[in-house]
Amino acid sequence: MLQNVIIGQYYPASSPLHRMDSRSKLIAAFFYLFIVFLANNWITYGLLIAFTAVTISASKVPVRYLYKGLKPILILVVFTMLLHVFLTKEGDVLYKAGWLEIYEGGVIQGIFIAMRLLLLVLMTSLLTLTTTPIDITDGLEHLLGPLKKWKLPVHEFALMMSISLRFIPTLLQETEKIMKAQMARGADFTSGPIKERAKAFVPLLVPLFISSFKRAEELALAMEARGYRGGEGRTRLRALEWHNRDTFAIVLLILLTLSLFLLRS
Amino acid sequence: MEISIKQLEHRYMQGTPFERRALHDVNLDIPHETFLALIGHTGSGKSTLIQHLNGLLKPSAGSIRMGETILEAGGKKQDLKPLRKKAGIVFQYPEHQLFEETVEKDIMFGPRNFGMSEEEAKKTASRVIEMVGLPQTVLSKSPFDLSGGQMRRVAIAGVLAMKPEVLILDEPTAGLDPAGRVEIMELFYDLHQKNKLTTVLVTHSMEDASKYADEIAVMHKGELYLHGKPREIFNERKALQEAGLDVPETVQFLLKWNEKSGQHLSLSNFTIEELAKSLGQALKKRGS
Repeated sequence: MLQNVIIGQYYPASSPLHRMDSRSKLIAAFFYLFIVFLANNWITYGLLIAFTAVTISASKVPVRYLYKGLKPILILVVFTMLLHVFLTKEGDVLYKAGWLEIYEGGVIQGIFIAMRLLLLVLMTSLLTLTTTPIDITDGLEHLLGPLKKWKLPVHEFALMMSISLRFIPTLLQETEKIMKAQMARGADFTSGPIKERAKAFVPLLVPLFISSFKRAEELALAMEARGYRGGEGRTRLRALEWHNRDTFAIVLLILLTLSLFLLRS
Repeated sequence: MEISIKQLEHRYMQGTPFERRALHDVNLDIPHETFLALIGHTGSGKSTLIQHLNGLLKPSAGSIRMGETILEAGGKKQDLKPLRKKAGIVFQYPEHQLFEETVEKDIMFGPRNFGMSEEEAKKTASRVIEMVGLPQTVLSKSPFDLSGGQMRRVAIAGVLAMKPEVLILDEPTAGLDPAGRVEIMELFYDLHQKNKLTTVLVTHSMEDASKYADEIAVMHKGELYLHGKPREIFNERKALQEAGLDVPETVQFLLKWNEKSGQHLSLSNFTIEELAKSLGQALKKRGS
């Protein structure tokens, strides 16, 4: 029942994208978030779509799988698109019926916004699909390392993040288990009016909270028992390695940015 | 209620790279009023199988008939509430499902969902709390103030309050102390006989199976591996060991005894009483 959410889920495969260093992927994805907003005409959007398509094919994640994960977000995309279609009043009138007027500018704007959202979600999904959560956290810790100089607890943040990432599947499992147990006692999570449905979640949330607190306490105790005392002087099991392909990816992204600057109107 | 499982197959996360076949071609008939022990190694598909019995999981192929209700792969959506009322599941570590402010309210949760009146549900709660061996005073307490063992009993009471016709128990005694184990198992066995229930007990314990079960079904790698009366199953020691299991200690003892003494005591005397009796007789014979 919770099987279709792919944001934050790793897709095991062996592809150039999987083999990239998590740091370069993080930098690239972060960078990409900004340059998507540079696009403002058909050519620049086409360029971005082509780049994203190439990245997807290099990742070896099946398109069908990606699409399944995008489904929940599609509603949001369509909704924003419709908002723009109806509310933007620019260019020629394409259609008119009573108070409803649709302008050419609105349609174009709607399509652009929808593409922008899709591209953003696709790229960030690709990051998590091709990088294990542990790699992402390691990469983040590395990249944020310089901030330690300003007494920012980077290691602790990274640890918090890897712990929460680690427990997402556990929490999902637990949710499913308790859901089933309550369903066996006649609880109904999927039908009825909204108010009733919201109430139906109490029997799910209370046990979840309780077990999460308990688990957190146990984990803290287990870490202390094994002498954990923060990042100072700790070595790593997995060292991050920067390869040529990582440099290549970054260069590619810089070239993309330059062409976007040149081609945007 | 009669249960009939035909060519049941279940795949988790179908259509993703994580797809995994958990059950394959399981055929199992459980007659009315049978006490069936479902045994298997961890990951053998026991829990998956029992979750099909009240529609929590849908078959990927094959079908399950529970009395009048038929669940089959690709079947139409149907209202599962009547089935869920009749087939009560006590999950592993059921104390994790407690959520209400008071024990009484928590026990009433199931009955109220299945349309019992408030008053009747209250009466049921005070009846089942006695059944699980807790005092009436517990009813007004918060379930989270109780000890682990007491919480387990409250959770079990919550399932019993639904008055199920089929009782499905997923390792109900895991993590309890020895005295608690016996008490809980005796409670279920008592209910099984008095209320003419059909009971499915998922367990690792061959001892529990030998003590209570009319029939034993052994699961191995998602398939039904052995099925029969306890004495038939206990004759298949090799097969059991292959599935990561073994015969109960009484049978192990009988085998060793026969080996050392050269006698041939019947392996079907596997309850403690029968074992003691047959040993007594064998010793007497030797003495005379």
